[in-house]
Amino acid sequence: MMFDAIVIGSGMSGGIAAKELCERGLKTLVLERGRKMEHGTSYTDWMQPWDIPNAGMIPEEELARDYPVQSQCYAVSTATKQYWVKDSEHPYTTPENKPFSWIRGNHLGGRSLMWGRQSYRMSPQDFEANAKDGHGSDWPIRYEDLAPWYDHIERFIGVSGSREGLEQLPDGEFLPPFALNDAELLFKKAVEDKFPGRKVIPGRVANLSKAQPHHEELGRGSCQNRSLCERGCSLGAYHSSLSSSLPAAERTGNLTIITDAIVHSIVHDPKTGKATGVRVIDSNTGAGQTYEAKVIFSCASSIGTAQILLNSKSDAMPNGLANTSGMVGRNLMDHLYALTVAGIMPQGPDTYYHGRRPTGLYIPRFRNVTEDGEFLRGYGYQGAASRMSWRNAALGKPGLGAELKDRTRKLGPWMVHISGFGEMLPNPENRVTLNANKVDKWGMPTVHIECSHGENERKMAKHIITDAKAMIEAVGGIVVSTMTEPGTPGLGIHEMGTACMGKDPRTSVLNKHNQAHDVPNLFVTDGAAMASGGCQNPSLTYMALSARAADTATKFLKEGLL
Amino acid sequence: MKNPMLIDRRTLIERALMLVGAGAAAGTFSASALASAAARTKPYLDSATFALLTAVADTIVPRTDTAGAIDAKVPATIDALLVNWASGERRYQLSQALVEIDGLAHTAHGKGFAQLSATERLALLKSHDEAALKVGAVQAPRSIKNIMAGPAFANPGYGKLKELIVLLYYISEPALTQELSYIHAPGEWQPSIPVTSETRPAAGGMF
Repeated sequence: MMFDAIVIGSGMSGGIAAKELCERGLKTLVLERGRKMEHGTSYTDWMQPWDIPNAGMIPEEELARDYPVQSQCYAVSTATKQYWVKDSEHPYTTPENKPFSWIRGNHLGGRSLMWGRQSYRMSPQDFEANAKDGHGSDWPIRYEDLAPWYDHIERFIGVSGSREGLEQLPDGEFLPPFALNDAELLFKKAVEDKFPGRKVIPGRVANLSKAQPHHEELGRGSCQNRSLCERGCSLGAYHSSLSSSLPAAERTGNLTIITDAIVHSIVHDPKTGKATGVRVIDSNTGAGQTYEAKVIFSCASSIGTAQILLNSKSDAMPNGLANTSGMVGRNLMDHLYALTVAGIMPQGPDTYYHGRRPTGLYIPRFRNVTEDGEFLRGYGYQGAASRMSWRNAALGKPGLGAELKDRTRKLGPWMVHISGFGEMLPNPENRVTLNANKVDKWGMPTVHIECSHGENERKMAKHIITDAKAMIEAVGGIVVSTMTEPGTPGLGIHEMGTACMGKDPRTSVLNKHNQAHDVPNLFVTDGAAMASGGCQNPSLTYMALSARAADTATKFLKEGLL
Repeated sequence: MKNPMLIDRRTLIERALMLVGAGAAAGTFSASALASAAARTKPYLDSATFALLTAVADTIVPRTDTAGAIDAKVPATIDALLVNWASGERRYQLSQALVEIDGLAHTAHGKGFAQLSATERLALLKSHDEAALKVGAVQAPRSIKNIMAGPAFANPGYGKLKELIVLLYYISEPALTQELSYIHAPGEWQPSIPVTSETRPAAGGMF
């Protein structure tokens, strides 16, 4: 079966790639290794708290047997279990002393269903970082190359946020922000007064604060502030492949989706130097099938793409497809994560808020921007101020009976917490390889992931905590909790870098068009393409790169260059 | 991705605060009323143990001017969770927590906990609660793993039993409509509203 384009993966990047290719008239096949899901009917956002099976608790023995890695993610419950892979069926290995938590879901829409939705542009400084300090491959593009595509994506997916005029966190095409509450405004004033150059702003998030006509045309509505996002949103109030990009692709009449199709490898023709198709395994029957296309986009996630490329060996490309540089699988990055400080605000305002906002506050990077750092790169913070919850009132100290009920019924004090997200340096020793002798139940070689934090990350982690404490104390906060140990790599769920973009084919996999140096009709636009990670949540950048590459690929195809 | 969504991070933080402890009336059911008030559809616990569990739940979250744990069917839910959720180890831990409480009643009053008056049950369990929930060395919640593991109570079995009773109560429809406030779809985000005598903490988020 011949298509104009094949997109491997239907998640954040694949959904956008498919939409953009279809809208440019290309007959496009999306291959998804997981099962089909339907927008709305597959979700569980209708469940009231008292409807959740087992009060949200997955049976302990099942959790230990089937979800030992996935259960490290906060959002795994009986209401969301369908979105997470069974670790028991999807094995991978790591060195014993270098754990890596690979959090994922195999289904139509991929992790776009469960993502945190925080959406920030990378800045000019981020695209220049590798060139300046020599770590990683110099990005072959600069901010200006991607800026119009950020505009394009923000407009389509809908990003709510405030315009701040910050060089390190460029503004975009925003819907109205989810405003800071009164305690957050106090925190903002205290931090900005005491630390000129630091800013506290509303978190930018891909939830529709006010749906626009082009969102409503796709059946999407405004956010109702339920904070049930991780169960899937029947209102389509946050962007996902199921609510947004795949429906847009589908309405062109150019889209074909095949689910339960595990990509085994990409077929390469040594005579032309081009990829000719994709071999898949039917996950239900084990049957093999090859689909052909003129252009192939790999959007299988950073580790998934590396696995496919490394498994696409041939006589012409014995180290894997598009890997003459030897960089496929290398430079795996995540973000420093879970470095959190929380404090009580005794002077909090005598007000409250209504609704469960799908975001909080954000503190853009200031280290090595407006203030020096004793390390390279930097970090931003996400957080919120909120009333301490009933849970803490009820269980935070001994007591029972009517006394427990009385204290739980009272509005709690304000607490503020901020959590640092730090940039990991690209390091070729952090890498994904294939286990030659360990295959999964479909016969695919499993991956071996070796990834750890280095000296720069360790220094950064300490400063994240020190700066966070100082900011909470600036508002008179009493620090009551500090999480000083970074989460295991992978837990940030921002895997990146395993097929990096670069100017030099000897040290990078992709050129400035996300096109493989070695294979002109192969494009990689998921997290694998990232030459560096910044400290911003990266999905917005994946989507912008996907749209830009789809535009380029279509032009090249029409000009007969592919 | 995980930015773990902020509301969920908040849950983590709440747990962290509980680790550092940041954070009286009588039950209303007589012993004879306990069993019938908390009927189960498909029993797991034998009736004596279930009556004991019911008495404990009623003491921890009694009916006052609002519904209590029995009204919210907490004992029956725990009975079901012992089958549908708990591991063998967990079942043993929770049943031992109940046995301990019953043992304390026998020692102090010569009869089982469920047979005590509401006042006696409250006094006995309050004292047990204070001792059982002591946290040994101050445990700094340095990592996610540490926080997810929960506080290192002197009596982890009782700590878990109480946590289940309280959480199941506060995610029940009676508690969310009478004690706290819960609106499934709040609508427009309002960042600042006045606090009045009617204001109740809002629940929701993960559940």
